[in-house]
Order: sequence, then structure tokens, then C-alpha cells
Amino acid sequence: MRSPSVIYLITRTHGRRTHLLTSENLKAISKSRSLPEVVDQLLRSDYASEIGKLPTEEVDSVRLEKIFHRTLVERFLQPVKDTKGKAGEFLEAYAARIEVENLKRILRAKHSQEKIEEENLIPLGREHTILNFPALVKVENVEEAVALLRETAYAAISGRLDDYRRVGLPVVLESYLDDVYFTRLWETLKDLPDSNGLRWLVGEEVDLHNLQLVLSLKMRDLGSRLIEEIIIPVFYRLSKSTLRDLIQSGLDGAPEALAGTSYDDVAEQLLKSKEPSIDLEITLSRRLYQDASFALNQLFLELGYVVAYMLLCEREARDLVTIATALDLGISEEALQRRLLL
Amino acid sequence: MSVAGRAAVSRGILLRLREQLEFTKKGQELLKMKRDHLASETNKLLSKVAMRGKLDGRLMQAYEHLKAAYLNLGYSGLASQAVTVDRMQVRVRPRSIMGVIVPEVIIEKEPSIRSVSSSSAYHAASELSGLMNELIELAEAEFRIESIAYELMMTNRKVNALERVLIPGFIELIRYVEGRLEEESLEEFFRGKRVKQVIRRAKT
Repeated sequence: MRSPSVIYLITRTHGRRTHLLTSENLKAISKSRSLPEVVDQLLRSDYASEIGKLPTEEVDSVRLEKIFHRTLVERFLQPVKDTKGKAGEFLEAYAARIEVENLKRILRAKHSQEKIEEENLIPLGREHTILNFPALVKVENVEEAVALLRETAYAAISGRLDDYRRVGLPVVLESYLDDVYFTRLWETLKDLPDSNGLRWLVGEEVDLHNLQLVLSLKMRDLGSRLIEEIIIPVFYRLSKSTLRDLIQSGLDGAPEALAGTSYDDVAEQLLKSKEPSIDLEITLSRRLYQDASFALNQLFLELGYVVAYMLLCEREARDLVTIATALDLGISEEALQRRLLL
Repeated sequence: MSVAGRAAVSRGILLRLREQLEFTKKGQELLKMKRDHLASETNKLLSKVAMRGKLDGRLMQAYEHLKAAYLNLGYSGLASQAVTVDRMQVRVRPRSIMGVIVPEVIIEKEPSIRSVSSSSAYHAASELSGLMNELIELAEAEFRIESIAYELMMTNRKVNALERVLIPGFIELIRYVEGRLEEESLEEFFRGKRVKQVIRRAKT
């Protein structure tokens, strides 16, 4: 039996869902001819309070991106605040994807010993994370950044430092952060009642993440052994042996390696694409958000509904960022439509 | 005013004029050699500049891929990927081609894009970094052509000035001096004959 706090959360999320922009809204926004036109259309949405403060002459895609990210963070944290117990733990672990993304950005910059400012990160308040981002952005190198993660959930990353130094690629550390994130998510999921819907959403995301990791690294001709070492050790519908076959075969042999799994259509779509390395991220993200849309209609009385809502918040933010960037770069409407995750 | 109008006439001046003419002709030959060399250098560079059209096309395509990466990741996402690229290091040193100083770009370190983790950002980065060497080569060739063309124009002017003004002037002057010297020697000869004739008449 579900706890009253979970029932309350699901009910609140049903209400919050109505605040999301519909596909029609996003399509209409994507047809805007300029950024002020986008702003006008968003004045009737959750973005109004932030966007309304922006003077017209200061409207640009970078500022809008920040606003979209701020709203995404707020939306992500609302369900976490509303829940306690195991469900709260799970949602907290789920919302940690924002701090993981920020950590990745810091590690990438430190890998090249480049400066990074807090404003280059997704805005996440100090009260929502135990990571000390102001200190992390100031460190000189990766080693110092890893030392600052000692007392956090990512402490074991120091064990990957030797691999990172040997390979010289930040993707080793990035994949480890994903590993910590998804493993924690998978573990907290086990303690929840009625977790089938959640398992499906999280499991598919891990599978798609592994697919993206393997295919993108294979396209760059990185060694099979390295790829095998850095895949996330959570296997839902993609078994370890299937992933191993995919690592050996690469994109050309992907339909064969993925035959019989629910991802064979993804491989076929990528093979049909003229630029698979560019379309890879979009194709896999689209699949994830399609799952979320499906879950939103199927899991309406489960915790999976909240996760599906969070995923759709993420999709909305990504699509809005894409639209703002496209308008800034003068990209044609047709090309923009191909890049949207709708 | 012609050169001849101002000239003093003596055997010494004639010798000096002939030496100057010889020197000017040698200078003209050297300038012609320089002009030919610069022209052949320009011809060599033209084939490199001709690749501009193709390079423009490839660059536009690379920019399209970069735009796609921007759309996939957003500005901050792509900036975070771009920060991992090891910067290219180049050294520019001056080189002389027949006295024309042109830059020579030496690539000391190629940009390394291995650390880019996003597939679309990596694709755009590999296309752009693949074009960097050719872009530098083209910029070098274009700058060289510009400097050489200017020098070629100046050399041509000098050759033309020597060929059409200075050398014909010297030739005219030498001819004038030779003529004047011949006239003077004829006058001297005639004067000597007349003197002899007068002396002979006075004796008879």
C-alpha cells in the first residue's frame, strides 16, 4: 500500500503536469521568427516570472538557456521536497543528475586546466547539494577536484584516477559518475513498492546510456577493452553479452547485435542516418522521452508518473534550449524541427 | 628637358656614361630575373589558392555540423565539451623570397580532440580540426601572393623605367657625347689643315 506522502506527491505531479508546455505549444514556439517572439509565447508559462524580468534588449539564447535550466532545476526539486522516506530518497537520487552534469563540466575543464566559472554550470542552490561547487570550480586540476569529492557519494572516483591518467580521457571519469548515479538509483529503486514502472524507466535510460557510450566510442575507434571497462554495470534489457557483441561489431553490426532486444529499431534508424555520429544523441534521447510520454499515460497512479514528469521537464528544457540556439544561429525551421525531441 | 641638353662633353664623361649604361643593363637583367622568379613563385601559389572554393565548401559543411552540435547540447553544453580540446600551437617566422619578407607558419602542436566525449561535438571538432592545417596553408599562400604581387608590380615598374626611360636616355646621351666628340675632332682636324695652308701661303 502506498504511503500518503507518495499519493500526495503523485496528485501534486498530476497538477504540475498541466504546467508543462504541450507538443503544440512547443511546435508553435519553434516556428517563432525571433527570440523576442519566443519570449512573448513563454509569458503564459512557468517561465514567465523569470523571463518577464529580462529586458527585451538583453534577450539572447545564453540568458534564455540559463532561465530554462533554472526552471528545470526548480521543477526537479519540487517533487523531492514534497516526499519523505524511501520515495524521497529515490527522487533525491534521481535529481542528482543535475549535480552529476555540473561535476562533469568541472572535470572536463580541469582536465584541460582551463578556468571554469560557476555561471558555466547549471544553477543549483547550495541547499540542494552537498557538493561544494564554489570550491570545485577553483581547483587547479582533476586530482584536486577528486580530493574534494572525498566525503561525498562520488568518493570512490579516486580509484579511477589511475585509469584516467593511463588513458588521458575525461570520459573515464564521466562514465564513472554516471555509474555512481545509476547504481545508486538502481539500488534505491529495489526498496520501493510497485517499482516495475520505475524499473522500466530507469532501466531503459541506463540501457540507452550504455548504447550511446558504446556506439559513440566505437565511432571514434577507441579500444574495445576500454569501452568494456567504462560501461555502466547495470543491465536491464541489454545484457552484458549483448553489449560485448555490440562493442565488437560497432555501428555496422549493431542491428545484428541488438536483434531480439527492444533497441533494434534504434540501430536501424542510426544506420539509415547520413550522419550517425550527430544523430546518435538525438535518436537515443528521443527514445527515452517517448518512453516517458508513454509512462505518463500508463503509470498515472505510480511513482513512475513522477519520474516520467521529471523526464518530460528535461525534454521541455532541452527543446527550448534548442529553439533559442537555433534562432540565434539562424537555422532554418526545417532543420530545427529535425533536432527537436518532440 | 632632354638628358643631352644638360651634359658636359669629354672623353672621361663618355667612358663614365658607358660604364653606367653597362651597370644599368646588368641591373635590368637582374630585375628581370627577379620578376621571372616572383612570377613563377606566384604560379606555384595559385594552385594552392585555387583550393579555396573546395575549402569554403568543406568549411560550410563543418559549420553545419557545429550548428547541429550546438542544437544537441546548447551553448553551455558545447562550451563544456570544447574546453577539453588541446589547443593548437603555431609559430610564425619570416622567410625571404627574392627579398620579399613573407610569413611561414610552423605547426608545433596539432589540436587534440580525443577528450571530447559527446559524439556530435566530437564529429564537429574532428571536421574543424581536420581543416585547420589547410586553412593555415591557404592563409599563408594568400598572404604570400599578396606580398609577392606587390613586389612584382614594383619590380615591373622598375624594369619598365630602366627599359623605356633610363637606358634609352643613356644611349641617347652617349650618342650625343660621341657626336659632339666626333665634331670636335673634325673641327680640330680642319683647323690644323687651315693653319698648315695659311703657313704654306705665307712662305710662298
